[in-house]
Amino acid sequence: WDDDEDGELEQVDDTDGVDPEMEYAQWKIRELERVRRDRAAIEEAEKEREEIERRRNLSKEEREAEDRQFIEAQKAEKEGKGQMS
Amino acid sequence: MSGHKADAKALLDDRGYSGPLIRGENPANLIEKPLQDRITETYYWKEQCFALNEASLCDRAVDMNFIGGTYGQQKASPFLCLVFKLLQLQPEREIVLYYLHNEEGFKYLTALAAFYIRLTFEPVEIYKALEPLLSDYRKLRRRRNDGFMITHMDQFIDDLLTKDRMCGTTLWKLPKRQLLEDLELLDERVSPLADEIEAIDNENDDAREGDESREGSDYER
Repeated sequence: WDDDEDGELEQVDDTDGVDPEMEYAQWKIRELERVRRDRAAIEEAEKEREEIERRRNLSKEEREAEDRQFIEAQKAEKEGKGQMS
Repeated sequence: MSGHKADAKALLDDRGYSGPLIRGENPANLIEKPLQDRITETYYWKEQCFALNEASLCDRAVDMNFIGGTYGQQKASPFLCLVFKLLQLQPEREIVLYYLHNEEGFKYLTALAAFYIRLTFEPVEIYKALEPLLSDYRKLRRRRNDGFMITHMDQFIDDLLTKDRMCGTTLWKLPKRQLLEDLELLDERVSPLADEIEAIDNENDDAREGDESREGSDYER
């Protein structure tokens, strides 16, 4: 039920089972990609948990040293970018 | 709106709604207000959605031939109109699930029910009801502002489960599957391809072990 552009609608065919093997194969690719994505997300979360655990186990001095290092690396990067002006 | 209130009065009367609530709110508000107005402006809503009930709504859903949000001059699609109608009707759970799995194979009715389930069910129920459809690869015509395209049921379902916006609508934030698993509310999802995936994994592991065992690698698994 539409008042305009019915021709355009017909051009995109949504009939199923035209090429069953192809349609199944394409679904398979999509499904595998989903599984890969979900796994990657779990691994990412796992990594973060491990990092937090590691930081917790460091002594205060070690943590501070690490932070200083990180900040200095950041500063160095900033200076590199500042050359434009 | 005037003249049409006989139908949607209870739902759209913002002076004091007193009907059933979904997640503590007027179900109409699961659709943003501006979009509500777009929907109730359309001829489709006024003409085709007037006085529908759970049964006659099926007739409309079966006649649908595309999914989508708004198009052209921000005109709301029939799909959105019917979603909105469902929010007003609030059919019983069994009926919604019947729509979802209808034996006749009306895929646009399935898509409509899936969208409604995403909006109104509880998180665990959403995953349980929708995930089986990730194996459904029927084609769906989808209308975007720049024309029509083909998507598939599994893709549509995956989007519903993972995206924040669909069909011009902001979906309320669904907790991630992983979180529900950690709370032991959901079992891990087993892909219908699980056997094949395992086979691929084993192959990869074998190859890796072959490469690295000599170096005494501590590769786990």
